[in-house]
Amino acid sequence: MRRFLLWLIYRVIMRFLLKLFAGISIKDKENIIHNGASIIVANHNSHLDTITIMSFIPTKQLIKTHPVAAGYYFGKTNSKKRLSNYFINALLIPRGRPKKGENKPDPIEMMLEVLDRGHSLILFPEGSRGEPEVMQDFKWGIGLILQARPEIPFIPIYLKGLGKVLPKGDPVPVPHLSKITCGKPTLPISKDPAEIVTQVHNSIVSLKNNY
Amino acid sequence: MKDLINYDIFEENWEVSIVIGLIFGILIFSSVLFFVLGKLKPKADFSELVMRTKSWWLMAVIFVAATILHPIITFISLGLLSFVALRELSSISKNVRSADRRTLIWCFLAIPVQYYFAYIGQYGLFLTFIPIFMFLWIPFMLVINGDIDDIGKSMSVLPTQLMLTVFGLSHLAFLVALPEIDGFNAGGRSLLLFIVFITEMNDVFQFTWGKLFGKYKILPKVSPNKTWEGLIGGVLTTVIVGYFLKFLTPFTDTQIILVCFTIAIAGFIGDVVLSAVKRDIGIKDTGESIPGHGGILDRIDSLALTGPLFFHIVYNLYYL
Repeated sequence: MRRFLLWLIYRVIMRFLLKLFAGISIKDKENIIHNGASIIVANHNSHLDTITIMSFIPTKQLIKTHPVAAGYYFGKTNSKKRLSNYFINALLIPRGRPKKGENKPDPIEMMLEVLDRGHSLILFPEGSRGEPEVMQDFKWGIGLILQARPEIPFIPIYLKGLGKVLPKGDPVPVPHLSKITCGKPTLPISKDPAEIVTQVHNSIVSLKNNY
Repeated sequence: MKDLINYDIFEENWEVSIVIGLIFGILIFSSVLFFVLGKLKPKADFSELVMRTKSWWLMAVIFVAATILHPIITFISLGLLSFVALRELSSISKNVRSADRRTLIWCFLAIPVQYYFAYIGQYGLFLTFIPIFMFLWIPFMLVINGDIDDIGKSMSVLPTQLMLTVFGLSHLAFLVALPEIDGFNAGGRSLLLFIVFITEMNDVFQFTWGKLFGKYKILPKVSPNKTWEGLIGGVLTTVIVGYFLKFLTPFTDTQIILVCFTIAIAGFIGDVVLSAVKRDIGIKDTGESIPGHGGILDRIDSLALTGPLFFHIVYNLYYL
């Protein structure tokens, strides 16, 4: 039932709406199809980013893919939390890691736990959406995760135009041509979190420049 | 279901069936030709031509469907064509500021209104809605938005995009709403078929003549592929082909020659104007809606000019 719903929402309805409003086209689609755990990393400009990526993932893989979202935004109320869990398959994490001695869930641990189950993550290392078509600095999380699980590949994705369809702070969508470019699944080359973050950042920037 | 397809068009207008057969005949011929050529000469690269033929199939299916299906479907599909064209033009234009997004919504909302006026055949409203009402409304909305930097650019760019993609193309829809008249009962559908077929053939002829014999460039800076040989050869071929398609129109012999000549020249103008716009933006093709053709705009840029011209010639000669 849930699988059918996810298929209907993302593969049919969202795909159609995205085609209509964003004229969405995809480049190198085969890269996004991956069996086993992986981390999809993308630049983040719009709420549509997650939906777009999900609409191109096969349903079998989609049911095991969890977009990472900020708990304080998507999990404010219990019903909101349940909806995000059911329909977006979201992994709600708190912002920031707990300080020593603090008894709070650690977002990095939560993400590693999902990966260890053989599931995949969709992660936006920029953290929040920001200005359309402008990339912000990446957060450290992605580096720490790949440091702990160096055998798990990351799939870089560059999204263009969606920030103009539905930008931050404006609830009205305006049609604008958009494109999603998928890079090859890549393993981290270094053990140092800072270098991994740079590698991930560069791989997305190179997709942007090859556009 | 029975009402959905307009069978009458085959029974009453054998001409339309002939032209539809002709269109698919040409397409099948060129598809087979490129396939055989590709097999015979594997070294020669026909990929561009094969891609072009593919997108012609798409265009042909869209417009033939628009001709034989129920009028409502014709209007909706032409409206969607306007929508896609406007979406493409406003996306690629660097003169549309991000502050204009709220105003752009009004431009998109104008599409259903304009096509509704065409559907009910309200000639006066149809003709004035965009050039007068929207020309007042868009600048007003821009002012209300309050972002004054470069507002003059937006005031001129947004209405121009609306004129090209919505006003121009909606004339094709109004052709379908034209009633039958004495001595010409093929109706608006055959007029639609005629203008689309002639305009697209004109594009192909000018392209082909230019490729074969092109030497003297007309506008080297704007469009290096446009040559005098291509233009003259294209215009002559278009007039000849148009003359043989006279049965789709109510025109006399002299009229059809003049009309085809005008369409051929207008098609050329539409092509170079959009070329200049694209050069200004710094891109070659406008998008990837149709494979091998850049965007949908590249295919309909000439239609946006020939459509209104043809419509007003027909309307003033036969419907006033």
